[in-house]
Amino acid sequence: MERLMALAMMEIGETRTIQEFHGKEEVKRHLQDLGFVKGEKVQVVGENPSGMILLVKGVRIALNRGLASQIMVA
Amino acid sequence: MSYVIALAGNPNCGKTTLFNELTGSRQRVGNWPGVTVDKKEGTYKKNKEILIMDLPGTYSLSPYSAEEVIARDYIVMEKPDAVIDIVDATSIERNLYLTLQILETGIPTVIALNMMDEVEARGDKINAEKLSEILGVPVVPVTARKGKGVPELMAEAVETAKAKKAPKKLPIFDEKLDAAAAKIKEALDAAGEADSGWKAIKLLENDEKVAERVSAELKSQAERIVADSYGAGADLEAVIADQRYQYISRVVKDTVKKGRTGHVETRSDKADKILTNRILALPIFAVIMYLLFACTNSENFLFLGINSPGIWLAGVVETAWGWVTGLVEGLVGNASPWVYSLVIDGIMEGIGAVLGFLPLILVLYVLVSFLEDCGYMARVAFVLDRIFRRFGLSGRAFIPLLQGFGCSVPAVMATRTMESEKDRKITTILCGFMPCGAKLPIFALIVSTLFADSNQTAVTYSLYIFSIVVAIIVSLLLNKFVYKDETSNFIMELPQYRIPTVKTIAMHGWEKVKAYAQKAGTVIFVSTILIWFLSNFNIDSFNGNNAAANEDGSIMCEMDDSFMAGLGNVLAPIFKPQGFGEWRPAAAIVTGWIAKENVVVTFAQLYDEDVSPEYLEGYFSQYSPEELEELGFEGGTYDPEAAPDIYSESILFEGGDENALPTLHEDIPTKSAAYAYMVFNLLCMPCFAAVGAMKRELKTWKELGKAVGVQMLTAYVVSLLVNVIGGLFMN
Repeated sequence: MERLMALAMMEIGETRTIQEFHGKEEVKRHLQDLGFVKGEKVQVVGENPSGMILLVKGVRIALNRGLASQIMVA
Repeated sequence: MSYVIALAGNPNCGKTTLFNELTGSRQRVGNWPGVTVDKKEGTYKKNKEILIMDLPGTYSLSPYSAEEVIARDYIVMEKPDAVIDIVDATSIERNLYLTLQILETGIPTVIALNMMDEVEARGDKINAEKLSEILGVPVVPVTARKGKGVPELMAEAVETAKAKKAPKKLPIFDEKLDAAAAKIKEALDAAGEADSGWKAIKLLENDEKVAERVSAELKSQAERIVADSYGAGADLEAVIADQRYQYISRVVKDTVKKGRTGHVETRSDKADKILTNRILALPIFAVIMYLLFACTNSENFLFLGINSPGIWLAGVVETAWGWVTGLVEGLVGNASPWVYSLVIDGIMEGIGAVLGFLPLILVLYVLVSFLEDCGYMARVAFVLDRIFRRFGLSGRAFIPLLQGFGCSVPAVMATRTMESEKDRKITTILCGFMPCGAKLPIFALIVSTLFADSNQTAVTYSLYIFSIVVAIIVSLLLNKFVYKDETSNFIMELPQYRIPTVKTIAMHGWEKVKAYAQKAGTVIFVSTILIWFLSNFNIDSFNGNNAAANEDGSIMCEMDDSFMAGLGNVLAPIFKPQGFGEWRPAAAIVTGWIAKENVVVTFAQLYDEDVSPEYLEGYFSQYSPEELEELGFEGGTYDPEAAPDIYSESILFEGGDENALPTLHEDIPTKSAAYAYMVFNLLCMPCFAAVGAMKRELKTWKELGKAVGVQMLTAYVVSLLVNVIGGLFMN
């Protein structure tokens, strides 16, 4: 298995799977409600100084950079 | 028999569109439509016995932000007869996550598969019958925007509500989880708790709100059950989420046929590449904001030398109102002086002053709702997140602040979508700084009178920028000294771009006109009479002194001796440093707290007197003969006959329109004072309606007092600085 890396390090067009989340419990729950569950594919479709636009379960979701660096992918 | 049917679903899945389709014009929505943050009820237009409840969007029944709590509490505690769960079929997997949770509550449910047209356009197929078979509830494909499938949906919903049939239990969880849930349910049942099945799952999920509602005894019992099968402190939340999603992917596999595999780049993706581009995003946003403003309030529209649509429409309304006033004048011409004064100087003048600005506000509002409806707002919030974060706010704050350009009341309510309490409190305060539609008339009036020789559009535009700069500085200060919590993360779904239908935009516009007419006819109408009364009467009106003193026996008094003058004179000294320390401007500020339009109403009444020959002589006596000649007096000698024309064309009024108040400069003598006056009205406490909304969001009087205190202090200090610093170069 590949080493874990922060989602924030991914590049546009790249697809990886979500592994873990290092952050507050309620944020984790909200992310799960939005489809960020372990093993789920996540693709980076956009990036700008604010953060990244991700494709999860066919839905575009924007996250700020700080949050994106708390999500670990492989 | 009447039924209550609630509309639930993810944010932005089309609940309100469906709600409007179902209820037609009978809806009881807020005065200013926008992001749904509160529940709204209406009756089904084809059967008045059926009450439809529109709920704020939510991703889950374990709420994250304040408006999600409203949706959850309604479904779980109020128990509608049926829920229509609206599923955005274009992202069915994610949407079904909420569906499963709604089904768990045991409330009779119908699923509306919305946006089926877009699914078909993509070449995908969803087998609704199969989905209904698997989930055990009716599934109706609809396209709410076009009203397609809506009658069928309602027929199913009514049937379901009548049958009171709870959805069947679905094989979502594995045996181990089911067994744990069953044990907790048993304990809950033994304690006589209602909705035990649903609460059992929520307790497993570690839902704090549900845990608070059951006894400590039950809570620890549930914890023991979890510990027995999963080990102490196990995090079942992730397990449950995972099993739900796995179940959903099985369901989707059986019911959805993808036309193409993998993600196909949509038009939205292409648009996003430009609109959220790391370099272009901000310039594009700035241009859009400028266009918004130019369409509304520019006398040189896009530098074409023509009036903007807003100004043009305002002219039309003014002409029409002038005509109506003429008619009314004919009717009351022979009435007693005080009736004439009330009707013409009070009501017609006051309401007219406000009504003339309706077109500006309407144009602004329609454009903002276009931006909201097309999907751009979410992007702007995201793009601005980085900048907002520097000032200690999340980009989400942009949406309430922009709504604040229309009206503070929905703006303050929209702060609910922010999950951090600190962000909510700060944004609530900042909303009051925004140049809302009702403040626009104040700016327009003062600018056209006291900045007649300046670039009026630029002056007005600068106030918009000013409000934003002040908001930024205050946010920084509040973050540093008052509210020191963490800024919330930015997590937002970016919806598909959609071109709003003419129908929705027209409806928004119409709602707006209606709300404005209502406001003009109620609050402002009553205020107008009140202001007229306070400005024309005093104690001596009622003890016979005025009647004895006045030649015509009128009980009215000179405005300078009126109640209003009394009030204004108390406050006026406070504003001496700001340069407008006279009773009339000071009193107008106070009337503005009832409704900001009242500032204009008050001015229209207080500065309504004609410019008398004596006044003109006094005014021109300040000029030397050379200056008089320059102004247009032949030979440099004062000529009473030419004076009125020269006065209205004098430097002060060059380019001034019929709105300009000829004597306003007596009280607000300099440009810096005029700007300070606008700034004070811009930043000080908003109208009482907005303060009420602030109280609802901030909950306690103490927090409200703090917020209003910050607004007042900011207004006072900033307007003072404007007059002092502006005085160095403006005058």
